Amino acid sequence: MSTMTTTATLPRIAASARRVTALQKRIRIERTALVLIIAVYMIPVLWLVATAYKPPKDMFSSPPSFLFEPTLHNFRRVFEVFDVWSLLQSSIIISLGSAVLSLLLGVPAGYALARARSRYAIWVAYLFLAIRTVPIIATLLPFYLMMRDIGLLGTWWAVILINTTLNCAFVTWMMFSYFRSLPRDMEEAALTDGCTLFGAFYRVALPTVVPGIIASALFCVMFSWNDFLVAMFLTNSDSKPLSVALLAAFGTKDITWGTLGALAHFSTVPIMLMALFLNRYFVQGLTKGVH
Amino acid sequence: MSIATTAIPSQRLPTRKKSMRFDDRRQLFLLALALPAVVYIAAVAIWPLVQGIGYSFFDYNLLRRGGAKTFVGLDNYVQVLTDKTGQRALINTFVFTIGAVFFEFILGLGLAMLLWRDGRFNRICLAFLLIPVTITPLVVGLIFRALLAVDYGYIGYYLAEWGITSPRGLLAGTTTALPTLIFVDIWEWTPLVALILLAGLKALPGDILEAAFADGATSWQRFRLVILPLLLPTVFLALVLRMMDAFRVFDSIFVTTGGGPGDSTTSLMVYGVKQGLQFFNIGYAAAIANISILCIALMAAAFTLLIRRADVKANEQ
Repeated sequence: MSTMTTTATLPRIAASARRVTALQKRIRIERTALVLIIAVYMIPVLWLVATAYKPPKDMFSSPPSFLFEPTLHNFRRVFEVFDVWSLLQSSIIISLGSAVLSLLLGVPAGYALARARSRYAIWVAYLFLAIRTVPIIATLLPFYLMMRDIGLLGTWWAVILINTTLNCAFVTWMMFSYFRSLPRDMEEAALTDGCTLFGAFYRVALPTVVPGIIASALFCVMFSWNDFLVAMFLTNSDSKPLSVALLAAFGTKDITWGTLGALAHFSTVPIMLMALFLNRYFVQGLTKGVH
Repeated sequence: MSIATTAIPSQRLPTRKKSMRFDDRRQLFLLALALPAVVYIAAVAIWPLVQGIGYSFFDYNLLRRGGAKTFVGLDNYVQVLTDKTGQRALINTFVFTIGAVFFEFILGLGLAMLLWRDGRFNRICLAFLLIPVTITPLVVGLIFRALLAVDYGYIGYYLAEWGITSPRGLLAGTTTALPTLIFVDIWEWTPLVALILLAGLKALPGDILEAAFADGATSWQRFRLVILPLLLPTVFLALVLRMMDAFRVFDSIFVTTGGGPGDSTTSLMVYGVKQGLQFFNIGYAAAIANISILCIALMAAAFTLLIRRADVKANEQ
């Protein structure tokens, strides 16, 4: 037995050493592949960034110019042509408004559905999930007539209300899955200690799902900020957000790609930065919100 | 021991009686927490949907004077399915969905395998790859429209110059516009598919994977015989999520081609928005919307069955 191990050990070490170098080689290949993929992948994003800093004379040069002197001309022009602050204000109000409303409605609902004993609870949760997959046009038409009848057409409220349906459904489902994976013991213990029902929800369960709430909020803001179809039909020239202005500017003759690129900065950079800084929550939302 | 057993019931009895009432109170409390969201969804999402079903049976155009509604039964549906643009939109939507999701899955799976190894490097790569997911589809459409422009676009100019595409460019050709839009969708959403598959890969049971390594199977065998069958539930989940989203495609098409040239890129959503919100043909648009809801529901049902089956199989292994 002992002789066998001594003879067998040497080749085994050699083999494992070979395996380690093979692994290192493999990792190096994988990483090179990833870097190359990302480099190609980022071309459209880099184009968007570059265009905004391109001087107008290089904008329509044919063949396209790769080298140019960066300028802030396009950003100055954006502020001349558009009321950027008002557009930003609309975008912020619409996305934050919908996010707050969705969280207020969705977080308690998610908790209730996860804790309820009723066998209908899971079906209600599925219903919320299904609402998210409905094409917006199906609800937008009747909603448009509804808003016309109650006089909210053209206001931020109309956009906030309809965005909140999809966002609230998303938040409820997401928080449902967070609360469901949370053991009940802590709440039970708090309740036997004399904590109120609301206290068990608000002070015991809620603090443990803060990551879920951050992820939900991020997605609500992203959804409303990026939407233009709903806002295009429900807002007017005073209440329109950035996305609608961007679409309207698109195709107008006197607005160059550079100006458009600069305006697009305002509508993409905030969300991009949020997703990068809150990457952990962003990834959680993308994976957990779907299960 | 005996003391304890006798002591507990005497103490518990009153609290148990109270806890019955407490349990009722608790269920009521939970109901109160859920109610606002349920009422909201019922009023602002489900009620409009029901109204939409109602409208779809009427010839109802807001631009017509008086806004009279005439009941036409299933005429709107028949018209969508027999109308040339309607059929085109249906076919386009299916081609777009299947084409986009197929490539997103293949590329996403490859990307997920590359990113599987845990580590800082891969996490940073993932963060970069997810940037397209955050960009407004509106801006994505805008970027590609500019890149593909034949006179000054970085891609379009050279493609036309080298004779790879017609001089009018990819988006202006009736046969090339739809594939181009599929390509744009692939660019934007492949990382999301990769991310979902990656989450599935990371949840695979480690012991089975190690056993497969120890068996000396080649990496292809390992992938095909061990990883893929176990990953199947996640695969179906990623597929159905993307299919439901791709089926609703609107933004990128609306911005780049507006459904043209002709109706070569008109999707159901683009057609529905045009009919409903530009011509205010409410009944007809509602029928289009309901047809797409039906298609999405059927896809979801089919994939739910597949996921269940795959789950059972994966558990048997």
